[in-house]
Amino acid sequence: MFSKILIANRGEIAVRVIRACKELGIATVAVFSEADRHALHVQMADQAVCVGDSPSKDSYLNMQNVISAAILTKAEAIHPGFGFLSENTTFASMCEDCNIKFIGPSAAAIDAMGNKANARDVMKAAGVPVIPGSDGTVDSMEQALEFAEKYGYPVLLKASAGGGGKGIRRCNNAEELKKGYEAAKSEARLAFSDDSIYMEKAIINARHIEVQVIGDEHGNIIHLGERECSMQIRNQKVLEEAPSPVLSPEMRKKFGDAAILAAKACDYKNAGTLEFLLDANGKDFYFMEMNTRIQVEHPITEMITNFDIVKEQISIAAGNKLSIKQEDVEINGHSIECRINAQTTGLIDYMFLPAGCLGIRVDSGIYAGYTMPPFYDSMVAKVISHGKDRNEAIAKMKRALDELVINGIETNIDVQHQILENEDFLNGEYYTTTLTQMLGL
Amino acid sequence: MNLFNRKKYVTLPQTNFTIEPSVPDGMWAQCKKCDKTIYNRQLGIYKICPACGAHFRISAPEMLSIVTDEGSFDERDADLVPENPINYPDYVSKIAKLGETLDVKEAVVSGRCTINGIETMICIMDNRFIMGSMGSVVGEKITRAFEEAIENRLPVIVFTASGGARMQEGIVSLMQMGKVSAAVKRHSDAGLLYISVLTDPTTGGVTASYAMQADIILAEPSALVGFAGRRVIEQTMKQTLPDDFQSAEFVLEHGFIDKIVPRNQMRDTLASILCLHATKHTASATITIPKVEHYCGSETIEPSEAVEISRKISRPTSKDIIGIILTDFIEFHGDRNFRDDTAVVGGVGYLNGMPVTVVGTQKGRNLEENVANNFGQPHPEGYRKALRLMKQAEKFGRPVISLVNTSGAYCATGAEERGQGEAIAQNLLQMSGLQVPIITVIVGEGGSGGALALAVADQVYMFEYSMYSILSPEGFASILWKDAKRAKEAAAVMKLRPIDLLGLQIIEGIIPEVAGGFDNDVSFSLDYLKRLLIHEFSALLQLTTQEMLDKRYERFRKFGAY
Repeated sequence: MFSKILIANRGEIAVRVIRACKELGIATVAVFSEADRHALHVQMADQAVCVGDSPSKDSYLNMQNVISAAILTKAEAIHPGFGFLSENTTFASMCEDCNIKFIGPSAAAIDAMGNKANARDVMKAAGVPVIPGSDGTVDSMEQALEFAEKYGYPVLLKASAGGGGKGIRRCNNAEELKKGYEAAKSEARLAFSDDSIYMEKAIINARHIEVQVIGDEHGNIIHLGERECSMQIRNQKVLEEAPSPVLSPEMRKKFGDAAILAAKACDYKNAGTLEFLLDANGKDFYFMEMNTRIQVEHPITEMITNFDIVKEQISIAAGNKLSIKQEDVEINGHSIECRINAQTTGLIDYMFLPAGCLGIRVDSGIYAGYTMPPFYDSMVAKVISHGKDRNEAIAKMKRALDELVINGIETNIDVQHQILENEDFLNGEYYTTTLTQMLGL
Repeated sequence: MNLFNRKKYVTLPQTNFTIEPSVPDGMWAQCKKCDKTIYNRQLGIYKICPACGAHFRISAPEMLSIVTDEGSFDERDADLVPENPINYPDYVSKIAKLGETLDVKEAVVSGRCTINGIETMICIMDNRFIMGSMGSVVGEKITRAFEEAIENRLPVIVFTASGGARMQEGIVSLMQMGKVSAAVKRHSDAGLLYISVLTDPTTGGVTASYAMQADIILAEPSALVGFAGRRVIEQTMKQTLPDDFQSAEFVLEHGFIDKIVPRNQMRDTLASILCLHATKHTASATITIPKVEHYCGSETIEPSEAVEISRKISRPTSKDIIGIILTDFIEFHGDRNFRDDTAVVGGVGYLNGMPVTVVGTQKGRNLEENVANNFGQPHPEGYRKALRLMKQAEKFGRPVISLVNTSGAYCATGAEERGQGEAIAQNLLQMSGLQVPIITVIVGEGGSGGALALAVADQVYMFEYSMYSILSPEGFASILWKDAKRAKEAAAVMKLRPIDLLGLQIIEGIIPEVAGGFDNDVSFSLDYLKRLLIHEFSALLQLTTQEMLDKRYERFRKFGAY
């Protein structure tokens, strides 16, 4: 096992990793920017090293400085958390060069899954379902109609040179496709000077369901069940729950099997998450992308499996075998996570974090008297509830949010209350578009 | 601040890691340009700074592996070492020692290779070997490479990286400049292609010989390129020089470099240029594209309307047109004399698979571009750039397309000092005898001598809403009627419309446009133009050179009314 770990992150995830290290008897090194001199993770760690100026690019993304901090403090491993350097292959290979263990997958696995087109090819080859697409350009109307006939409407016409949501046109039937095809081509020619078009099946009213996997360096890999993350705005998750309220045991097994297949296809080590889209029909699901790191919403999986993912990450990185087998994974009850995001920055003059009774956990990086700097991610706390079933988890969450007070900054607590009172949410009938509609955005 | 009351824990040693973290040697490099510390692996094989894009100096073997096909390099004269012509102390032992420590035995590596399957001779200088200085062996190896190229009708590529002549060999080193130049000349006279690539640094006797003698001169970004050293110039002139003085970009702006190519694109660029020069023009029988109907123009376009639309800022520029009618266009810069005039664009590309040279006046599509391109009014160096590229086309047997859209040659003191009249005159003289077909297309304004300087061609075509005249209608009205405001009236009497000029046999045909101008439907007009060019060049290429030149002579001989 390691005797000292550097945590190359800040905020609640840095605090989360430090807590795991303390429980494992491992010394911790925090890194911080000038703006974070008084941050909670700096206070909590055994040692702390300033790695640069306030903007992330000068500090938390400054690979040389982070590596130097590890070498100076003789840290044997670096936990990258999420965001920042967590999916940076250059950083992973720097760690390797300096004989520092990067707590995460190999640089090769990050590379293979980081590029979306690449990941899609890997998954397809492994037999994991991907969103049906033309795999290459569609060069004639006949070809376009043939594709739509095969996979069904609606379909998306996408400009090859487009990206970031630009150059996409949805066609709901053959009539629209006939009109849309030429129009999409000429639009693409004007916008990108390249009129090549490819096609994808449009998945509407989809659910975002992801599966947590974790593998060791001895070829063992298990999954820890799924998380339902459809409650989101502009692709930002707001509330997550586990297990998903809609998966049957058969479907749950299908997701798990697909996730294991996918993780094995890229020889995956350490913790990772496979994101899928579940079609409104509740049967077809497709691989979207893989996150090659710990995720924000990992606690809900921990709550229902009674399994500490961060501790296991560290143990695996030290070369140990997975501490449990697939058949040991048992799902108990239901867990919900509400992300509390700041909408302003400034001094938090008073704060009360809910506690008490069974089944409430708060992961946070703030304290009363702390001044939120304006440079980083807005998430200040994750409130997590765990109940014997979904209704109890919801009731506990409402109780916890009622108690939660953060004075001095604006937060999204009201939105979370609104979700917990929403009928569609209570019925478990919601999709990736639901929250946007609910808030009238 | 301390939030927590710290307790000292008793921790049991549990580490199984016996090697402490450390930084291995050679993990980091420092960029000389931006001073940043760079992770060596991020430099990659191209050794380009990820922070600022600066190109680190690399060795000849490294450059060879970047630009040549794997396993294709067949080295020549690998063991050639110099004697000591002026008995310079310790010279022989210094050479021997360098040969032992480095993976090269002299300051140039030469041989035969393929790039994308195309055979070529290649010489790459290595600045680690006495600053890449040019002694007898460097001169000899490069000369032999040119001689082998002449014998086998091959192109030559030379990567230069040199501080200049090798002092330790005295006057014998100076003579290498003359020796290599003579070989370059014979190679060029044999109609063969020579490409030089200037890398950091290219100075002194190398710049003043084979670096600057190539048909096409490429350079790496920011490479130092010059003759005299910066310090020498500063001390002689007693003034401080700007930072970019003698950078490749500075030299390109001054007209002596065709193109700056980043190292990671060098192989592809060389391959494209080699391929273009290895391709012969296609025989007419293989053309499958249908011919265009001859178009006679429409009488309904008023002269003043033609004038107005021909000047529209939204009219596609020469570069726009080139991008659509040619494939794989490579732009070349500079007149090799004074400056790169951005009012003239030129380069090479393929017209339906046939290599062509294209030159054209370049307007802008907005005020900023227009200011940068001097509103499409060339200086003398613009005409000289066009002529240089046309002579290059002649050497390699490529047809020439010239695109005209200019209100006229630029009127200014600088233009006069550098001989605007002489530049135009030379173009008329040289174009009338150029031994490859030339087709001129007037796209917008065809103003006076500034337009004719690119229009002494076998055939001249005009876009339907373009104009071609002795001078602008404003100028015409001003000279004859002393009132520039009567320009509209002047336009009506000047016979500047395509349809009028077709009647006067000044032009061969008209490119149709949709109502209001071809910016409303670019592909309609350019598809016509492309098909027209393909068929007309095909017909011209069936003539013998003498027949073609006689026809060109007759074309201009016939003009006159008496």
